[in-house]
Amino acid sequence: MSSLDRLLDAALGKVDGADALWRREEQTAVGFEAGRLKAAGVSEEAGLNLRVLAKGRMGVAGTTAATPDVQELVQRASSSAELGESVDLAFPTAKSQLPTPIPTFFDRTANASLDDLIRMGRMLVERLTRPDCQVNVSVEREVQETAVGNSAGARGEYRGTGIAVTADVTRISGDDVLMVYDQYVGADMPSDADLEMLVRSVETRLTAALKIVTPPEGALPVVFTPAGLAAVVLPLEQALSGKTVLQGSSPLAGKVGEMMFDARLSILDDPLTPGRPVSRPVDDECVPSRCNALVEHGRVGKFVYDLETAARANTESTGNGHRGIFGKPRIGYTNILFRMTDGGAGARRAVPLPAAELGGGLLADIDDGLVVDDLIGVGQGNVISGAFSHPVGLAYRVQKGEITGRVKDAAVAGNAYDLLKKIGGFGNDGRWLGARWSPSMLLDGVSVARR
Amino acid sequence: MKDRLAAALKQSRADYTEIRVERTWSSAVAFRGRRLETATVSEDQGGFVRVLNNGYGWGITSFTSLAELPRMVARANELSRAVKLDEPIRLADVEPQTADAVLELDGDVRGVSLADKKKLLDRYNTAMLAVSDKIVDTQASYHDEVSEVWFVNSEGTSLYQLRPEVVLSGTAIGRRDGTIEKGLESIGLRKGWNSVQNFDKQFAVVAQRAVDLLEAPRVRGAAYPVILDNELAGVFIHEAFGHLSEADFVYENPQAREMMTLGRRFGKPVLNVGDNGAASGLRGTLPYDDEGTPTQDTPLIKEGILVGRLHSRETAAKLGEQPTGNARAISFRHMPIVRMTNTYIAPGKNGARFNDLIGDIKLGVYACGAFGGQTMLENFSFTAAYGYMIRDGKVAELVKDVVLAGNLFQTLDRIEHIAGDFTWNQMGGGCGKGGQFPLPVTEGAPHVRIEEALIGGDV
Repeated sequence: MSSLDRLLDAALGKVDGADALWRREEQTAVGFEAGRLKAAGVSEEAGLNLRVLAKGRMGVAGTTAATPDVQELVQRASSSAELGESVDLAFPTAKSQLPTPIPTFFDRTANASLDDLIRMGRMLVERLTRPDCQVNVSVEREVQETAVGNSAGARGEYRGTGIAVTADVTRISGDDVLMVYDQYVGADMPSDADLEMLVRSVETRLTAALKIVTPPEGALPVVFTPAGLAAVVLPLEQALSGKTVLQGSSPLAGKVGEMMFDARLSILDDPLTPGRPVSRPVDDECVPSRCNALVEHGRVGKFVYDLETAARANTESTGNGHRGIFGKPRIGYTNILFRMTDGGAGARRAVPLPAAELGGGLLADIDDGLVVDDLIGVGQGNVISGAFSHPVGLAYRVQKGEITGRVKDAAVAGNAYDLLKKIGGFGNDGRWLGARWSPSMLLDGVSVARR
Repeated sequence: MKDRLAAALKQSRADYTEIRVERTWSSAVAFRGRRLETATVSEDQGGFVRVLNNGYGWGITSFTSLAELPRMVARANELSRAVKLDEPIRLADVEPQTADAVLELDGDVRGVSLADKKKLLDRYNTAMLAVSDKIVDTQASYHDEVSEVWFVNSEGTSLYQLRPEVVLSGTAIGRRDGTIEKGLESIGLRKGWNSVQNFDKQFAVVAQRAVDLLEAPRVRGAAYPVILDNELAGVFIHEAFGHLSEADFVYENPQAREMMTLGRRFGKPVLNVGDNGAASGLRGTLPYDDEGTPTQDTPLIKEGILVGRLHSRETAAKLGEQPTGNARAISFRHMPIVRMTNTYIAPGKNGARFNDLIGDIKLGVYACGAFGGQTMLENFSFTAAYGYMIRDGKVAELVKDVVLAGNLFQTLDRIEHIAGDFTWNQMGGGCGKGGQFPLPVTEGAPHVRIEEALIGGDV
């Protein structure tokens, strides 16, 4: 009998209901520092997380013990429930809609040997090495097994793989420090073309950054690359969470169906995207995965919920329950896809498009502006208000439709809600960046300050 | 446990072996708005093995199942042997240490009921909610832990450390129609239950600030003379200079070594900066780091001149300097890397007060509190929680969205006035580096004046 079943059995009769998650992860990592292979590591971790309902109240407990004492865990969760809030939580039943089978486990990734990982890293190091640059590369492979279940009889099980290949180039010239970084993340091993694209992405951004130019100043057109978009996307992710809606702090609360963004913009959360490491058939509360449209053609679509927030908001879970070994389940996004109705080909493609030039073809009409690839301090301001203000980490000046060099000591500021009302254009460079797929976007009227 | 670890060490065939085992007892309570989110007690445990062989690199294993320790020691050795290196990794000498270092628990959190912790946090959360009906949401959290850490290595070091920690934090969200603002209080201490009893006023203050910010304009983007309050000055030195003084950034990079040559001037003679892992009772305080090196007070900038940096045993050996006790890991899941502990700007020697700093500023910004900071080494951000305009030598209207853009070479050198009113920050949160977050650190500083700093915003 699995730990999960033993745990749910132990809870039976002691509490009114329970759900649990068991997860085992094994990671293998190799690290190259300054071009040299320096370290290889393996990490193994397994844990159990239990939530109980007792007298209408909710409690949680978790353990990483190798042979968990399930009675003790039930006892600890019950004590937690004594202090807990009452909630009318209904666990999904075995009869709920069947999970959609999707590939999450790739043999090639799981079976890759340490030498395979080292070889891949070494190839990247060789391709990226150049005078005056320090190249760090890491390759991390993860294999995981998950089992979720509850006292209503629902069970879900799947295995998954993931691999992240990260290249990090630091160039110091006198007192100028330039850092360029990119990453391949997938459930399957990267193809030669994927690695080639990673190399070219780093090279392109490095080459364009060699010349330093004076930053412009004023309210200007700015192209945010898929990486640079983080500051603009983060407020939306907070505001589209059922939690902030429930709490009354989401600026999008009460606006379902209202046109809040450019009519060409749609945003999906899709746990069923093939080939992505966060894709899964069921969420961490055993709710079958489904694709949710968060923004549809500029209108606010669905907010995302887990079981508890859905119960409190009198709606259904969207399958966005996310839980760790300790603490209670909370809302989490899976794969976020920015999908454009005018062109923006194949937002669901698992394999990224070939590396395009910086700016995704959006520079032609810019007389004076910026391409922003990285901002410093994203997530540290008053994010949910939509306001952002950040020094540039990596940004380029655009003059008369061409990149003229890198700018330093400039800061960009704006409000995501205002800027996304009218999007100047979507780039042809859509790609995955972690769990987000988006092209570059041209936004007009971004404040650029300089010293 | 020590015997078990010693036995596992003996089995190791590697040239150098270290084993770290941790057992952490923790409890957590959280409120969101008027509702309790969680009240839980957890125990987490696991081990970490790192080995080195001549001519080979690091082999590393981490695991939650301690029964696997012997297998994991052997596996680490195999991993090391898979990493061939031309230039061997050397470790700077550290005298073998044997000690039981038990930090003061100041009210052992393991002896306090979860119900009492809930009651305390409820009080602080209510203090925020009671401020105004414009406070639409709050997040209040209480977390404590007592961590037992065993460390042994094949050079004879054998340590047991007991590390307590308690963190309180409160975020108040104020809302008026479409305008949303937040106030943040956070307290982090390497202490226990007794030290978190009297913060009602602080929680009410940040909620009131969230309400006040609803009426405040955004700061205009420009370069200003800026005065940083103690809290933001602490975050500033952490981002502006602390990360650059971590030797893992320079030790393999000749250009970086040149840029960070000891003896180079980085600031005016008024500027003195250091990192002190041995300071008493602070969040970044530890008797020994996670390589078993005793911590110490390390001067980094003395009268404007670079005089030191922070080391692990590996970076110290490579640069021919002394280990400083700054190799830290957030848990057994990670390897130790070079990190800060308690980083500070020393108080100005002439004992200047805030009024002495502000008097001759015609138009400037007084930047206060910290939402955070981040660095890309030369350029960095530090985000104030709120700020005031300075007009004609006086603190004027409240402004919001005050984010400073710093440049290592320009910003540090433009500090000409440092007040004498030094305090240690006691913030929660923590520092993130190399995928390890949050690492408990503290910063300390007096009021600091920067002659010119860029603030983002509409221009």
